[in-house]
Parts: sequence; structure tokens; C-alpha cells
Amino acid sequence: MTVPWVEALPWTVVLPLVGAALTPAVAARRPRVAGYWAWGVLLVTTALASGLVVELALRGPFSYALGGWAAPYGIELRFDHFSAWVLPLAALFVVIVPFSWRYLDHVMPAGRLPAFYALLLLNCGGMIGFCVTGDLFNLFVFTEVVALSSYALVAVGGRGLAAYAALKYLFIGAVSSLLMLFAVAQLFVMTGSLNMADVAARLAELGPGVPVMVAFAALAVSFMVKAAMFPVHVWLPDAHAIAPSPVSAVLSGMVVKIGIVGMLRVYQIYYGAGVLELGPFNQALVWLGAISIVMGAFFAVFQDDIKLMLAYSTISNIGYIVLGLGLASPYAVIGASVHVFNHALIKATLFLAAGAIIHQTGYRTLSDLRGVARSMPQTAAAMAVGAVSIVGLPPTAGFVCKWFIALGAFEANQAPFGFALVFGALFIFIYYIRMVNAFYFQQPVHAAVAEARDVPLSMRGPIVLLATLCLILGVLGGIPLSFVEPAVLDLLPAWGP
Amino acid sequence: MLLFGLDLDYVAVIVLFCVGLYMLVAKSNLLKKLLGLNVMETAVFAFIVTAGMIEGGDPPIMVEGTSAPFASPIPHAMVLTGIVVAVSVTAVALALIVQIHAHFGTIEVDELKELP
Repeated sequence: MTVPWVEALPWTVVLPLVGAALTPAVAARRPRVAGYWAWGVLLVTTALASGLVVELALRGPFSYALGGWAAPYGIELRFDHFSAWVLPLAALFVVIVPFSWRYLDHVMPAGRLPAFYALLLLNCGGMIGFCVTGDLFNLFVFTEVVALSSYALVAVGGRGLAAYAALKYLFIGAVSSLLMLFAVAQLFVMTGSLNMADVAARLAELGPGVPVMVAFAALAVSFMVKAAMFPVHVWLPDAHAIAPSPVSAVLSGMVVKIGIVGMLRVYQIYYGAGVLELGPFNQALVWLGAISIVMGAFFAVFQDDIKLMLAYSTISNIGYIVLGLGLASPYAVIGASVHVFNHALIKATLFLAAGAIIHQTGYRTLSDLRGVARSMPQTAAAMAVGAVSIVGLPPTAGFVCKWFIALGAFEANQAPFGFALVFGALFIFIYYIRMVNAFYFQQPVHAAVAEARDVPLSMRGPIVLLATLCLILGVLGGIPLSFVEPAVLDLLPAWGP
Repeated sequence: MLLFGLDLDYVAVIVLFCVGLYMLVAKSNLLKKLLGLNVMETAVFAFIVTAGMIEGGDPPIMVEGTSAPFASPIPHAMVLTGIVVAVSVTAVALALIVQIHAHFGTIEVDELKELP
């Protein structure tokens, strides 16, 4: 008997959203139950998502018409190779939630836990919806679901400063969402359709023009802000550093990728329609990506706060992804699409390990945390694996993607950017070596650091698991690369089969 | 009616959007910034609503005596959803502003910057 996995597609989106709405009711008597409830919901979601990915691998992309209304009139959910990102996304949530169980005891009163887990589920559901929808307006709605829950998640742990960081994030995020809504409306006015594939087809009939370009520019800027590219990254460091560590992992690893997945969707529409010469735009992306790499690394070198350092390193890594997209050669785009996932994995490792260290010692700067590796060997080892991985040394998850992006630079005859990439990696190496040096080779300056015990199993387990995955994916890195290959070759018209 | 080669309603939308953007960027008071954001949202909603307009169109409700052409109902659905989203954003922002005020005693950005 074959399981109709297509039917599971809407449930992967609806389940976390409904789970989020039910969380306060489920945990009304005992707030702690919220954590176990969220974990259960996410486990089922992950199971459904893995079914979808298997179906995709066996039979290729498929669609589901919501409410039985066929596209282009109804809302279409479409599961293609870029949507497959929902599986690692949901799986990372499954790992991050158990870490939060103990971690949050010191961050917020128990009464806030149901709200926290509800927001986390909402965030997850929104991102899954964003990745699988085939409808432009739906894309906007899911962006806002993700964005709103992210603003609240930044503020949920603290008062004052956290609220201010969240508000700055909100203002910039809301403007970018408005630009997106405007672009969606513009495309609707021009084509009379909201279905992505249909819009692409109708744009092709309309031909080039200024409004087509305006809509593209608004979408591109909107997604760049969401991805925290260099000139519009200002909201990211404060928001990501001040949020509770599991939230930092979610924001830095996954929420910024909304911008990248969104960009891929825009590419699908515009490459498909072929109404716009994307060369100059891609060249701009390449430059902005290269600048993001260098500037993110530059700021990170001067940070003493480990979480702020990790936040700036996210800007660098988004730079790598955008550089890869802009190069628009198969190797580069494959590397970039896979780095969306690998960076999420590595950043989750690093942020959870950093959170564990802050949780046990109460300190968060490199100078205070000297010698922490002696008292927390496993967590520090995971952090070191994450550091090696994000620098991009073999045999870790970070290496394969950056290698592919560098190869792509040569493939696209833009060798200088290949060198820029290697140079950026060296820069990143400097600040991570500083961290490893402080943790391993310096004497503790605080008694709390010297006497700290390693974190309990429910927190150590996720960290060690993620660090192990960083290593495994370094060895088996070819699997995700070959998985996205057909989608990328479909996407790039000039290089297609 | 045309102005600078654009329909008048588009010009109004662009002006409204820029007014909102100016408030968001230039004002120091967080509440005024939020109001600016709301003005920008209104501008985008107005843009969508004008897209549904059809000269001499009937409301798209099937009762006796209505006939084609109908006004497009999709922009209305979009704007309604957009308004719901905008209200949620405003609510979250107001809650954050209340927290900031309770903690720092001010909602002026230039004063918040001077705080340690």
C-alpha cells in the first residue's frame, strides 16, 4: 500500500501552528508540560517532513491544492527541492527544544514557558509554510508569522534592553515586509495572479518593463533585509545576542534563511519568466556578499562577548550564501543552497554550546571565560568542532559548501571572488582561534569558571549530537549536494541541461 | 488624471509612503516611529485597494440584478489579511514600547542611546 504523502503536505504546516495555539491550554495547569508538548508536536512534524522528502526523492516535486481549489485560483502548496529544507529545519527544532527545557529555568519565570513554546512552534510552522507555499500572498503571510514570532522571541527572555533590541528588529523587519507586500501587489496588478508559476508564465507574456523591475527590486531588498546582508544588517547583532541562546540558534540558523529561500523563489519566478536581465543584479549580489563576509568577520574580531561574536559571524556566512547565489554558476548555487542548511547546523551547535557555557558560569565574554574547557570539556569540545566547521576546514560540514562556492567562482570566471572567499575564511579563522585559545590554553580568572560543572544530559546531549553531525556531514557532504543539484540546474537557464 | 506620468492615486500612495518612511527614520519618539510605520502600511493597503477598482464594476456579490464587469474581490481579501497582520505588528510593538518605558523611563531614542 502506498501512503498518499501529498496529503501530509498541509499537515506539516498546520500541525505546528495548531500546536502553538493549543500550547497555553495544554500547559494551563503545569507550565513545564509546554516543553514536552512542543517537542512531541515537532517530532510528528519532522516525521511528516521526512516522509515528504522521501516522496520528493522518489517521485520528484509535487503540489497540493488547498481546499480543493486548483491553482492558479486556489492556494497551491508546492514541495520541490528547495522546500526540502523543511526537514532539517524541523529536525533542528527537535534538537533545540530539549536543550531549552533546563536552560530556560534561569531565563524566565515558569509562567512564561507556555508562551515561549507557543512562539517557538509558531516560528517553526511559519517557516515550514514559507518554504512549501506556491502562492505569493501566502508567502507574505508566512513571512509575517515568522517575523512576528521572532520579534516576540527576542524580547521574551529579558526586559528593557531585550525589548529595545526587539523593537529595532521589528521596525526594520516591518518595513521589509511592507516592501514585500508592495511587490506582491505590484505583481498581482500586472498579472492578475498570485500563484508563483502562473505569475512567471504571465510575466513572460507581458515582457520587460519598469514595473517588472520595480517589483523585483522591492522583493530583493526585502529579502536582503530579512537575510541581514551587509548594508542592512544593523538589526541582527543586538537581537541575536540578547535573545535566550536556543532562540539565538533559531534566529541565526534558520530565520535569516527566510531571506535566502525567498530569494531562491524570486529567482524561480524571474529566471522562469526571463523578462529581466539579472546579470547586473547578480554582480551586485556577488559584491555585497563579498563585503558581508569581510565586514562580518571584521566586526566579529573586535567582539569580546561570545554571543555577539557568533551573531556577526552569521553576517559573514550569509555573505557566503549570497555570494554563491550571485555567482549563478551551478557549483556556486549548489554550495550556497546547501550552506543554508549546514550553516544552520553549525550555528545551532555554536549558540547552544555558548548558551550552555553562559548558563553554567554566568559569564559571557572571552576574557571572563578563559580556561572554561577544563571544567566543561564536552561543551568546549563541541564549540571547538563548531568553530573548525564554520571556518570551513575539512573534514567538517562547513568545508564542502565553501569549497563548492569557491569552485563556482572559478567556474563563473570570477576567480578574484574565489580568493576573496578564502581570504574571508582566514579572517574568520582568526577570531575563532582566539576563542579556542581562550577556552583551552589560558588560566581561568574566575572561580565560577574553574569550578563550573558540565551541563546536565538534556542540554549536553543536543550539543554533542549537533557537533557530531557537523563532523558526519563533513564526510557525507556529497549527499545534500547531489540532492539539490537537479533543482539548481532547473533554476539556472544558461547552465541547464 | 495623470501627474508626473503616473495615475493620481499612485502619486498619493508614493507620497503617503514617503511621509511614513520619514517619520519612521527621523522621529526620535518610538510611538511616533510606530505611527510612521502605520502610515506606510496604509499607503501599501491603498495601493492594493486601487488595484481592485474596475470602471463601472459591480460588487462581486451574486444577487439579482448584478452583472459583469465585477470589481476584483482578491485585493479586498489581501488588504483584510494585511490589516490583520498590521494590527498584530502594532500590538507587539506597543507591548515592547510599554516594556521599554517601564524599564528605562523614556521612549526617546536619543535618550535611550545614552543609557549604558
